[in-house]
Amino acid sequence: MTQIGEVALWVALALSLWGVGSAFLGGRQRRGDLVLSAERTVLAVFSLLVVTAGAIIWAFLHNEFQYEYVAGHSNRELATFYKVAGLWGGQTGSLVFWATLLALFGSIAVLQNRKRNREFMPYVAGTILFVLAFFLVVIVFASNPFKMLPFIPADGRGLNPQLQNYWMTIHPPTLYLGFTCFTIPFAFGVAALVTGRLDTRWITTTRKWTLLAWFFLTCGILFGMRWAYEELGWGGYWFWDPVENASLLPWLTGTAFLHSVMIQEKRGMLKQWNIFLILGTFLLSIFATFLTRSGLIESVHAFAENTTIAYIFLGFLAVVTLICAALVWWRRDRLQPESQVESWLSREAAFLGNNLVFVGAMFATLWGTTFPLISEGIFKQKINVGPPFYNRVNVPLGLILLFLLGVGPIIAWRRATPRNLKRNFLLPLAVGTVVGVALWASGIRHVEALLTFALGAFTMTTVVVEFWKGTRARAAIEGEGRARALVSLVRRNRRRYGGYIVHAGLVVTFMGFAGKAYDVEKQIALKPGESVDVQSPFGTSYHLQYEAMSWYDATNMTKLVASMRVERNHEPLGIMTAELRSYRQRQETNHEVGIRTEWDQDLYLILAGVDDPNGVIQGTDPRPMATFRVLINPLVSWIWVGGLLMAIGTLIALWPTVAVEPKVRTVPVRVPEPELVEV
Amino acid sequence: MKKQRKFLVGGITVAGLVGYLMFTGMQDSMVYYHTPAELVQKVAVDPSYREVAVKVGGRVMPGSVHFDNRTLDLRFTILDIATGKARFPVHYQGPLPDTFEQGRDVVVTGRLDDQGVFQATSLLTKCGSRYEAGAEAYES
Repeated sequence: MTQIGEVALWVALALSLWGVGSAFLGGRQRRGDLVLSAERTVLAVFSLLVVTAGAIIWAFLHNEFQYEYVAGHSNRELATFYKVAGLWGGQTGSLVFWATLLALFGSIAVLQNRKRNREFMPYVAGTILFVLAFFLVVIVFASNPFKMLPFIPADGRGLNPQLQNYWMTIHPPTLYLGFTCFTIPFAFGVAALVTGRLDTRWITTTRKWTLLAWFFLTCGILFGMRWAYEELGWGGYWFWDPVENASLLPWLTGTAFLHSVMIQEKRGMLKQWNIFLILGTFLLSIFATFLTRSGLIESVHAFAENTTIAYIFLGFLAVVTLICAALVWWRRDRLQPESQVESWLSREAAFLGNNLVFVGAMFATLWGTTFPLISEGIFKQKINVGPPFYNRVNVPLGLILLFLLGVGPIIAWRRATPRNLKRNFLLPLAVGTVVGVALWASGIRHVEALLTFALGAFTMTTVVVEFWKGTRARAAIEGEGRARALVSLVRRNRRRYGGYIVHAGLVVTFMGFAGKAYDVEKQIALKPGESVDVQSPFGTSYHLQYEAMSWYDATNMTKLVASMRVERNHEPLGIMTAELRSYRQRQETNHEVGIRTEWDQDLYLILAGVDDPNGVIQGTDPRPMATFRVLINPLVSWIWVGGLLMAIGTLIALWPTVAVEPKVRTVPVRVPEPELVEV
Repeated sequence: MKKQRKFLVGGITVAGLVGYLMFTGMQDSMVYYHTPAELVQKVAVDPSYREVAVKVGGRVMPGSVHFDNRTLDLRFTILDIATGKARFPVHYQGPLPDTFEQGRDVVVTGRLDDQGVFQATSLLTKCGSRYEAGAEAYES
């Protein structure tokens, strides 16, 4: 069964190469038959990749350990759930997964647009197939999932225990959905350049694709943070690790793109900038995939050290950059702005500022991430930069963004008058100032945290006022009740009010980040019966008493479980547990932390060490001394709540608009079907 | 060019700000990365190099690991990955990283003290070989 997958892979490669040729040739010579063939190739490659992915999953489910990939990422005892997830558990499989997702999105884009955007389609299909062909070359020649071992091992080596977590099973696919989804707007951007049709058509056509990509990428990053928080057992959620940074880079340019296209739609500016942003976002998505998979830069989870792949990826990035730069140069006359920024106090200027800050943050993060390579190349000396660098640069930039987040959506286009400014910003500024002063008075002296809350309050007020004004106006005009007016307000302007909800979510998330400034950590060795007290920055006191140590034998590991009786302000909260797991197959240990989430803080418990683990298991020392780390992480739950708000807001903006306006009668136009030609 | 002036001014301002932040940030957090052999040689040439915090990438010498479960003191000897020589003891205090093990490649950050012990403030385990193990892993 599994061999079919390998055959499908080869056929997919051959077909996609054919498709690239026929798409560009068909587009140039205006030959409908070739274009149709290229469009169908996208669908065919998708079907073939589904077969390949299915074959890999089949091999996992049937314990076919003769395949190196299966043997390296599974074993007989592994839960079925994780066997399926094995498809994206390692390098080769995840490249197949990437290509499959791209082919899926490509197929949808082709079916959706083949009638509507005829002139773009040859180049859209061609670009998608070009990217697919590249991935298939990498898979077939440098990272083949069907590579056999010289013998059949009795059992596999199992999946890395850190990956055996539900967040980890959904985090990579979600990120990949985001990465691949950005290829669609990129393909339309290329098509716009090649055809020279550089009005807003390519942007409005792909608006939802961009939003969808942003949705997946945002969720993917947040899932990764949640995974790190629960699984890595360090009490943090973001470490400025190269792989984390890699996923942030396309997010930064993608977010900039999402905003700058609005300026092009409304005012015909930033045409060249938009092309570069989507190109950059696409390249950074590829770069992120490559960084994760090449192990070129030290990282907690650089998954491989395959330098061949590194060179293929770098070559691909270089080629795409050159082609696109040449296209932009060729079309530079058609990329001239139709209007200009008239005043610094205008929506255009605010959006421009937002864009420059996003790109600045991207550049700084990229610089820090690749600096070990740059310095090795130039000074023959590897130099790393740590989290202080990223925080130093990105925290001030984040604060500027937080401010612009409040300004951008409500300041007037072209030129804001003093009256306009006063009417829109007096109340938000007052609220922001009051919050800032109140926090200062209550003893908060951490400047960044203070500013986050003051600016957050400013921005949040602008959002609330917008909803309030809109609802009130609608209630007055339509004579609806307030609640009904609010619902129909959002329904009629999904993009705008969905966007406001995303902004509100981001503010809440940023406030959650600010809580980091007040983390508390305590490490202590306890005998059973002994206890520790921890004081939270909000005045809550926790009392943890080490009750007992027990052990369990699970299918592929042995767990040591410490139970702690927890009291908050002398009120019992119940039992909290933290575990130390030893995985037999891989001879690795893993800390399973205990987390107790409250609305304002998390109590985070790590079982750092057990004095006599073997004594517990053999029964000679059932009550060993153990070392614990107790952390209080303020406002962490705000990050997840804010993330949820961002997701909901994006979904509202994404939801297909049902025609509420009276329908305009349209006369169907018949487009002659191109002739069918056997391929 | 007058049309694009605001774009340029904005761009230069933000670039200047980001540049300034990056420059000062680099000064705060630049850390040299050495192999154990390089560090030993650097310190031999210039003893004041002990004062500089560095990152060292090497291998945990099998049989050298001692971990005190109570104080969380971890001691092991680090080897040069390429030559297997140039070793010095490393001390780290904290919970054992999940994937730490004898023979594993690690990256430690810290400095060499006067006794020649590397006092690590952070310890990262490289998992590369683990995730993508070759055939030799089964043969034992």
